[in-house]
Amino acid sequence: MIEGFLKEQQTLEGDLNSDTSHKSSVEYLINWFRRRSIFVLAYGTGCGAIEMPPTFTSRYDAERLGIRGAATPRQADVIIVSGYCSYKTLRRIIRTYEQMSNPKYLLALGSCTVNGGMYWDSYNTIKKLEDYLPVDMYVNGCMPRPESILEGFIALQKEIADGKASSWEKYEENYEFYRKNQEAVLGKKVSPEYETNWYLYDGGV
Amino acid sequence: MILFDLFLILLIAYSVGFLYYGLYRNITARFQRRFGPPITQSFYDSIKFFSKEDSTSHGWMFYLGPIIMMTGAITTLFFIPFFYDRADFRGLSDYGNLFVVLYLLVVGPLGNALGVGVSGNPFAVMGVTRGLSRLFAMELPFYIAVIALISINQSADIATIASNQHETINAIAYPLLFIPALFAFIGMMGQSPFDVVGAPVEVYSGPAAEFSGKFLALLMSQGAIFSFAKLVLMVNLFLGGASGFMELLLKTFLLFLFVIAFGSLYGRFKTPQSIDFLLKVPTVIAIVGLILATWS
Amino acid sequence: MRIINTLLAFLSLALLLSFWQDNFSFYVDLALLGLHGVVVGVKTSALSNVFALLIGFSWLMVSIASFASKKNTHSTLFLWLPILSLALFLIVYTVDYLLFFVGWEVMSIVSYFILAPTLTPKALLKYILFAMASALALLMGIVILYSGAETLLYIDANHGFTLLSQQMKMILVLLMLFAFFVKIGAIGFHYWLVDSYAQADDLFTTYLSAVLSKMGIYGLIIFLTQVVDIYSLDWKILAYTIAIIGVTTSVIATFKAIKEDELKRLLAYSSIAQLGYIVTILAIAGGMGGVLYHALIHTLVKLLLFINIASIIALTNRSKLSQLGGLIYRTPHSFVLLLIGIIVLAGMPPLAGFASKYLVYTSLLDAKMLLILSAVMFASVSGFLYVYKLIYGIYLGHPTHKSLESVDEVSKWYLIPQYIIALLLVIIGAFPALIVPTLNTVLVQLHVAPIPFETSTILESPLGAYNGFVVMSAFAVIFVLVLFFVWRVKSKAKNVKNRFDIAYCGEEPTSATPLHYGYGMGQELQRVGFIAIIWKQSSASFYNALTLMLFSLSTRLRKVYTGNLASNFNWLIIFAIFLLCWGLE
Repeated sequence: MIEGFLKEQQTLEGDLNSDTSHKSSVEYLINWFRRRSIFVLAYGTGCGAIEMPPTFTSRYDAERLGIRGAATPRQADVIIVSGYCSYKTLRRIIRTYEQMSNPKYLLALGSCTVNGGMYWDSYNTIKKLEDYLPVDMYVNGCMPRPESILEGFIALQKEIADGKASSWEKYEENYEFYRKNQEAVLGKKVSPEYETNWYLYDGGV
Repeated sequence: MILFDLFLILLIAYSVGFLYYGLYRNITARFQRRFGPPITQSFYDSIKFFSKEDSTSHGWMFYLGPIIMMTGAITTLFFIPFFYDRADFRGLSDYGNLFVVLYLLVVGPLGNALGVGVSGNPFAVMGVTRGLSRLFAMELPFYIAVIALISINQSADIATIASNQHETINAIAYPLLFIPALFAFIGMMGQSPFDVVGAPVEVYSGPAAEFSGKFLALLMSQGAIFSFAKLVLMVNLFLGGASGFMELLLKTFLLFLFVIAFGSLYGRFKTPQSIDFLLKVPTVIAIVGLILATWS
Repeated sequence: MRIINTLLAFLSLALLLSFWQDNFSFYVDLALLGLHGVVVGVKTSALSNVFALLIGFSWLMVSIASFASKKNTHSTLFLWLPILSLALFLIVYTVDYLLFFVGWEVMSIVSYFILAPTLTPKALLKYILFAMASALALLMGIVILYSGAETLLYIDANHGFTLLSQQMKMILVLLMLFAFFVKIGAIGFHYWLVDSYAQADDLFTTYLSAVLSKMGIYGLIIFLTQVVDIYSLDWKILAYTIAIIGVTTSVIATFKAIKEDELKRLLAYSSIAQLGYIVTILAIAGGMGGVLYHALIHTLVKLLLFINIASIIALTNRSKLSQLGGLIYRTPHSFVLLLIGIIVLAGMPPLAGFASKYLVYTSLLDAKMLLILSAVMFASVSGFLYVYKLIYGIYLGHPTHKSLESVDEVSKWYLIPQYIIALLLVIIGAFPALIVPTLNTVLVQLHVAPIPFETSTILESPLGAYNGFVVMSAFAVIFVLVLFFVWRVKSKAKNVKNRFDIAYCGEEPTSATPLHYGYGMGQELQRVGFIAIIWKQSSASFYNALTLMLFSLSTRLRKVYTGNLASNFNWLIIFAIFLLCWGLE
């Protein structure tokens, strides 16, 4: 797992080695639409939430990039974990994340999500978010300014367009791994049984 | 032939509706001193939601809710003629009249309310209740204005009402009917100050709270079609109708611009406040307008 | 008992349909009994046939539904029901006011016997007081009418009416209106109605709402068109008054219904509101078609709704919206049937309810009663709220009790009549003018302008027509196309496994979380001025004040009439002296 600075490097160089030849044109088109339209769950989970209002309102105007807020997880594509994440919040984040429809992306803000940051020795915050949920994009800083958040979004959009942002698939594939880590801090009952059942079954009309 | 006509009507309403929604977001952004998204943004959003991998459903009634809503929107559109003096783009309006349209306007939302109800999300039902409570207050001034128009023209046919305005349009001839109808229309378009239904923060985006993926996309698409249908209806009733596409687009756009400008400037009423306001100010104006217009 | 009852109902309906076109008449001259010039009789006519059809059909439907539950329904109901229906047939087929009164009285008293086992003493007292007051007013009216032309036949009644003095005419009109408004439950006179509807046997409530209330309408039609010529200019003020009473009834009852928590009370108020529309257009010349149409549709829809409610109450033993919920996937058939019912009740296209609402609106518009029309449409739109509350409270949302999660579909005996009615409503929706020729024979009989008729799909009115078949098929075709499209798109709908899996702000609702919103629906309207006034006011306060006045009056009277023999004797002497003086003069 590449994270932090390296991740950014790779993102900036992303265009050079992106390989889109294997994808069908329909898939390309769908990814393009997904890139152009990103609904962000308006759920402030940490101190970084304070940076989100300026990002979405007149000063930085994320809507010009097709990024806008959504009230409920059912409508959202992206959830932002904005900074430190206490166990109590983690439970809500997991539940909310599992309620979102695929494909869904997770954007992590600040150093706290990378390695715990200044809460590295806190008794009730998690240290590495990616042990518990798959992260598509890190935006580092403490806290990252709206410019950085926008840059993070642009990088995420690029990955979506290339079809590389597939953390939701990774989550389903490695579900046991994530669930084990989640249970380690939250106890046996991470989220209600019924939700997990639904989340993992195939089919539908 | 009529099928082709209907298809064209639907296509125009769909594309123009999405264009207007894009403009709506863009113009609102300009009101807030920002650039705003491109005007095709709403279209992107809807395609994106249609292409989600999965969407949450709560059983067959939930599945049918947005479909009934879409059906209601398209049926309403088909019963409103685009032009008053042309044989094409009349849709099915020869088979119905204004009363049919007034009722078709509420069929879709009520069908969707069933889907919302079965999802079991209390926030969503709160939104529906707000909508239904607001509905009767909103429809009263609108109905009074429409009744006056039908009585003046002695016809419930929309095209007849539109073509009878070639000298003065109803908005100028009967301002006391137009103003209350416009208030109600702002509510119908879901604009401030009457936008209690889908308040994102208060009731978790209201009726749409539980809809994801294709259901949400369907709701968005019907919103575009439905808005255009309502705009055409309003233009036919009060702004003299249209005889060509340019006129239709110009008039609907001006009306739309007014509505969104109004919406951008005002804050949101609470539900009882909006009912109280609509039952007092526009209704009283409409009653006065009705009496003045039909006094003989 | 049930079987005999059903057979009788079926027989009466079969007889009615097989002799639909034939004319029967049977007259008896009561001169033999010393009543000179009094002729009573029965006669078939188009109007009475239509109302008899409603009675027969409702009777049959209720009888079929009665096979479902063995324990909930009182066995005496089916003993009395044939007698009650016979009285109703007498009311509609008679040609004179004497037999009409007999039928009316039998109806009231038989209803009392049916209601007696289930009603609380207070509600029963209310019922019988109002029923007797209604009958008494009717009797006084008949006596006054008789004093004019000394005949009781409807055909001579108008002549007799014109012979009366102006004051007598006024008194007669007020008495008769009182008698019929009590049965209809017009606002102010509905004091008995809601309690009786709510506490009566579930199936009898169906019959009460569907048929007995229509008798008030029938009486009004006969009285206003045959006796008083309501459409003449002399009675314009009366016509307006009736229209205003009707529309006030609709508006107030609609808002009262929004507040109700109990299923049958909600529907009782809805029944009052719907009859309010009928009373409103009864007063205008072009409205008779709408009256008959709406009476027909209302009978059908109230049969459907009340049978549905009865089945739910029988299934769950719960009768309040706040105690039900979430039954849709347990009882899908009932849900769909109630859905059809409420679409019709709300007057939505493409079903039959819209056709009758359309006639109501266009006739009011044609009569230039625009403000009244606005109020009618307002009441009609406000009705959506209670209509949604009804279906949400029972079938949608979350079950409020564990027992609701394990029930099964209601008995098929409840479903059969509902399906028959629903089918009729759908057919009338697609062919709204199908029944117009039948109604037109009635309108011709009543000497009012018939509804224009060309084909059965187009319902015409002076201000424009609409094609019900096109509306319905457009709706159906678009629905199927959209459904197909939604089914085929990339996004796949996955059903949640559990009803608690909802977007709930990251929280995990459990069975202890109050998720059902049924009871609170519409309560916030309390904060809107005029609705709060409607909700706070009740006719009970008026009748309580009346009771207090009567009490104080009797206290005064008691001072004079003390009850002991000596003072009685004194009064007798004074009276004798008075008579003596009067005689001497």
